[in-house]
Amino acid sequence: MAEDLKNQERDRASLVPREILGWKALEDQTFDPKTIFNYIDGGGEVYRAYNFKSLLARRFEREGKSALIVDFFDMGSSSDAFGVFTHDLEGENMGIGQGSTYKGGLLSFWEGRFFVSVYAEEETEETKEAVMALGQEIASAIPEQGEKPALLSLLPAKNLDEKNIHYFHNHLILNYHFYVSNENILLLDQQTEAALALYREKGERINLLLIRYPEAKKAEQAYQSFTQAYMPDAKEPGRVKTEDNKWTAAKIKSNLLAVVFNAPSEALAEEMIRNVVRK
Amino acid sequence: MSNRRITRRDFLKVAAVTPIAGALVPGLKGVQSAQKAEPLKKVRVVLVRDKNALDASRRHNPEVIQKMLDDAVTTLLGENDPIKAWKMLIKPNDIVGIKTNVWNYIPTGEAVEQALKRRVMDAGVPEDSISIDDRGVLVNPIFKKATALVNARPARSHHWAGMGSCIKNYITFVPVPSDYHPDTCSNLATIWYLRQVKDRTRLNVLVMLTPLFHGIGPHHYSKEYTWEYKGLIVSRDPVAADSTGLRILQAKRRQYFGEDRPMQPTPHHIFLADAKHHLGVSNPDQIELVKLGWDEDILI
Repeated sequence: MAEDLKNQERDRASLVPREILGWKALEDQTFDPKTIFNYIDGGGEVYRAYNFKSLLARRFEREGKSALIVDFFDMGSSSDAFGVFTHDLEGENMGIGQGSTYKGGLLSFWEGRFFVSVYAEEETEETKEAVMALGQEIASAIPEQGEKPALLSLLPAKNLDEKNIHYFHNHLILNYHFYVSNENILLLDQQTEAALALYREKGERINLLLIRYPEAKKAEQAYQSFTQAYMPDAKEPGRVKTEDNKWTAAKIKSNLLAVVFNAPSEALAEEMIRNVVRK
Repeated sequence: MSNRRITRRDFLKVAAVTPIAGALVPGLKGVQSAQKAEPLKKVRVVLVRDKNALDASRRHNPEVIQKMLDDAVTTLLGENDPIKAWKMLIKPNDIVGIKTNVWNYIPTGEAVEQALKRRVMDAGVPEDSISIDDRGVLVNPIFKKATALVNARPARSHHWAGMGSCIKNYITFVPVPSDYHPDTCSNLATIWYLRQVKDRTRLNVLVMLTPLFHGIGPHHYSKEYTWEYKGLIVSRDPVAADSTGLRILQAKRRQYFGEDRPMQPTPHHIFLADAKHHLGVSNPDQIELVKLGWDEDILI
């Protein structure tokens, strides 16, 4: 067992080069879901929320230049590699891996079951070139490709901001992107799949939350829990005008629960819900 | 607010009477209050800035920072002489822990630490009764028997608490920090009621020299999202200091992104430190903000 883990660790380490454009690797550090807080403090919660299995951290140094850091996460599944990639979507797509962003010295991408962050402590033309070269080499070394979660195909296409879709499991990540409640009123857990998508309609920003529960009964319980906690004053079942004069609407279909937040009108909230349920 | 369920709608309801909530949840502009505001007792917060606080390489200028701190503390306490002002905070027989922050990208910094230590010594405390520490406070002999704490940390966005705040700076006083992670650290204020900390804090300094207004990636840092604000926020109330710093970070985000983009995750631990845990005040209407020094691009 211990030997297997060591072999897996060695295999993962072999996917990251030890030298790039004059930068040389220092000693590797590895972390698991229990020890990750020793490396990135509270930020470790993000990767734990996506069921990450292990992290290989490799620092590269070159005399007179800023350091580069590769954080190589084995997420265990392509869905979670994609999901954790969607946690932070800022930046320019660099065409590396199956999806990538670059901004402020940080390249992030996902490929197969891996999520990779390559970071230059100071962004210069030279460090940017090295970050890109490192990213390319790692992406090419990963032997597998992965599928995006099927749940995403249920999001209606009309007015969808494709660059603003977050995929996740639990309410901690939901609250990160869109604060709903301090309690888990949607009964989310590591077995649920959720997509939070932004829609733009005539200058309005409307949020659609789509959740797939392991079974229909759980979806029904979540609907009851959510509507009782979030819209106890609803005049119609599953829809309410909130204090900012916007509309929230919720509906279930089998094991799916859809919630629309911030719709400018009741009619639009209803239409968006109908479009999800129709799919 | 009792220990109960809180939803987004609670923030919407209180937005008008507690403007800090507007920094937590997007789209709250224009919400009108049905309540008539009562006269409020205000907490003083001093924001001091100096154009020369940093050199061209962003190194802290110790002399300027000492003067900034002195100006802030004298104004805060209404006493012209800095040493007399510090004697209002610290007694010669106090054992003093200066709680700093050593985060590698933006630490509190030696200039601020030493400026504080100097004035604690000027208040009559012998050097061997003072310690500066962050991650070792639970085993540090001075901190273990401290009768007074001075809390100093840089303001920054934070990947799990929303904002690295004065309130949050006491996280190292608990043995398992992750115990405070639920609901993105909403109950950080409870740390301030622990035996080793309770009622010991004499001053809070939120360092705004090069704040981080946005973070990316596992390390939550890019120099691109820092700027040379060259300020210190000083208050006896940690919540008021944080609330003021948050408004500046939020204003910088608005300026940089060109739209109202609340911190992610929402730093609601600041609002809840007031509304739920009664540690201090977060409502700007209850804060007397005194601004000193350089006012270009002050953002508040």
